Amino acid sequence: MKIAVCVKQVPDSWVEKKMDGQVLDRLGVDAVLNDLDEYALEEALRIVEANSTTGAAGPESGHEITLLCMGPERATEALRKGLAMGADNAILISDPALAGSDALSTSLVLAQVIANGGFDLVMCGTESTDARMSVIPAMLAERLGWAQLTHVHKVDIDLAGSMAQGARSTEIGVENISAHFPIVISVPDKINVPRYPSFKGIMGSKKKPLVIKALGEIGIESDSVGAAASWSTVREVTPRPPKSKGIKVVDAGDGGNQLVAFLVEQRVI
Amino acid sequence: MYFQDRYLSNEQILMRDTCRQYVDEVVAPWIREDRSREWSMDPEARLAPHILEKADEIGLRYLGVPEEFGGIPLDADTLSQTFAVISTELARGDSGLADKLVQNWKISVLLGALAPLHLQKKWFAAYMADPQFLMAHCLTEPRGASDRWLPYNVPEASMETKAVLEGDEWVINGRKQFISNGYDAKLYIVYANTDSTQGTMQGTSSFLVPRETPGLTVTRCNETIGGRFMNNGEIVFENVRLPADHLLAHNDALGKAGIYFQPGKIMVAAKNLGIGIAAYEDTVRFVHERVQGGRVLIKHQAVASRIADMATRLEAVSALLRHAATAVDEGSPDAAILATMVKVFASDEILKVCQNAMELHGGYGAMVEVGIEKYFRDAAVCLHSDGTTDVSNFKIVKSMFPATAGTYAGPE
Repeated sequence: MKIAVCVKQVPDSWVEKKMDGQVLDRLGVDAVLNDLDEYALEEALRIVEANSTTGAAGPESGHEITLLCMGPERATEALRKGLAMGADNAILISDPALAGSDALSTSLVLAQVIANGGFDLVMCGTESTDARMSVIPAMLAERLGWAQLTHVHKVDIDLAGSMAQGARSTEIGVENISAHFPIVISVPDKINVPRYPSFKGIMGSKKKPLVIKALGEIGIESDSVGAAASWSTVREVTPRPPKSKGIKVVDAGDGGNQLVAFLVEQRVI
Repeated sequence: MYFQDRYLSNEQILMRDTCRQYVDEVVAPWIREDRSREWSMDPEARLAPHILEKADEIGLRYLGVPEEFGGIPLDADTLSQTFAVISTELARGDSGLADKLVQNWKISVLLGALAPLHLQKKWFAAYMADPQFLMAHCLTEPRGASDRWLPYNVPEASMETKAVLEGDEWVINGRKQFISNGYDAKLYIVYANTDSTQGTMQGTSSFLVPRETPGLTVTRCNETIGGRFMNNGEIVFENVRLPADHLLAHNDALGKAGIYFQPGKIMVAAKNLGIGIAAYEDTVRFVHERVQGGRVLIKHQAVASRIADMATRLEAVSALLRHAATAVDEGSPDAAILATMVKVFASDEILKVCQNAMELHGGYGAMVEVGIEKYFRDAAVCLHSDGTTDVSNFKIVKSMFPATAGTYAGPE
């Protein structure tokens, strides 16, 4: 089985976001591997471990996990973390012409690499914590003409049948969905608890292959991506309003009632 | 506390984050759960086995072990810096736990450098197989240590523990005290005098001594004010007989242990910094929650001033630590002085940070169940560990002015 895990380097989500004009300031803050992508990688590792004769991921497992990323060269840091967690190799598409790309451009680039990679599965987090558009998995499936199992909180792989089955929570219940390979799968954070890289993994990650490719090397014209080719533009950025002061409930015997009334008003109960 | 990632390599950042996650998810919750564990008078019952088992899982115990025995080699040119980063993070969870592991790393490095291959094979295999396996480095004796033999390289200051070659066996007699991991180690490196005509630097040898060796008795666990999850012990050697191949370094053991001394001081300072960071983080949380006079504490200027003071001290220690660790890694001529300086500086500054933490917590600062007083106790241990402040200062001056301060004043 060949699994591609799409990952992104994002500004540390615990740090206050700053804007640089209409785009997010990515240089002034620490950059990390997108949290939600760690769940996708963890699930890929678990799939391989469950289907490996050695019980572990890695070259002897008979399977391969490739990290796939589009971003500046600095994104190699995020890829090293993914390699330290256990992925086998990584591809970074980095090109000045990609600056300002929207989701359509991103999906075009990723799909091009995936289409030529011989993958059975593509695993994604449901969204990145910076832009939060949550559209890449579906766009990838559409561009590739593959099945998509998006937002699945449980994945079962039937290797012999080349199938995956997933469970997706909706407002009215749980959908059980399945598809034949190749499939794009996206997973939310409740699917697992990602491992943290062991020291062995961290030191070993330096020896794992990480290739950086420019647009020309994957056969994409530079004028079909980037800011100029984007279908979407950010017109305006508004910071989140400051927290309101809140409501103070003074308990003069009816505090409980007031609290319940508040919760009802907020539609919590 | 949020230190900028500048100066750290990508691997060091990943290692720090892994340690941080281990501390936040495994160590800290366990310590908070029941603070009386530290005070159990059964030393073996203090630290739950799962703490070291989890450390084993992420590979924390294997640092310093040669790669051919399953260890994890770190980049040699940034070794002390990396150990500093890891030690700081671990001590953020518990300084005793950090000490337990620091001893193991240092001795692993020493064994890999000095022990014959067949003994390395045997003992590294035993070490790798058992998450609870601890090692200890036996230098200090009842008559003294850093205050006695390190400043003066003369026969009168030599160790009282002696080793004599009888046939093809070494026979060790003597007593060691204040030994980190001494109470529960399974393998000891023991320093003993082997030439009483020479100074300590030329007359001290080191030996590999398994705990089961007849004549070795662990006589007590020293109950200490802080760092209590590391069991400090006292060991007596009575006609301990060792095969000749258990000799690690003949007569120049202290010189050969040089690979241990400077990084050792870096790690003491790093642990100390970790204690300070933990005290600071808890205090910052507290002053943002606790309300007095209608305002959270941080809005009171006197409180804010103390917080700024704490943060500044932590940054200063962190900066000197990085500077000294880099000097050690570079083998710079001033490395020994800087390593000693940061050890002393950290111990003073962090104690002050912890004092501020206690005072800002008011009465809660003195409560065992709150945990702030633990930082103060753990920091207090750092004042003397790996050399008292005064003897360390003397060594700094002695190194800077060898012609005056560096000359021996003679026996008393």
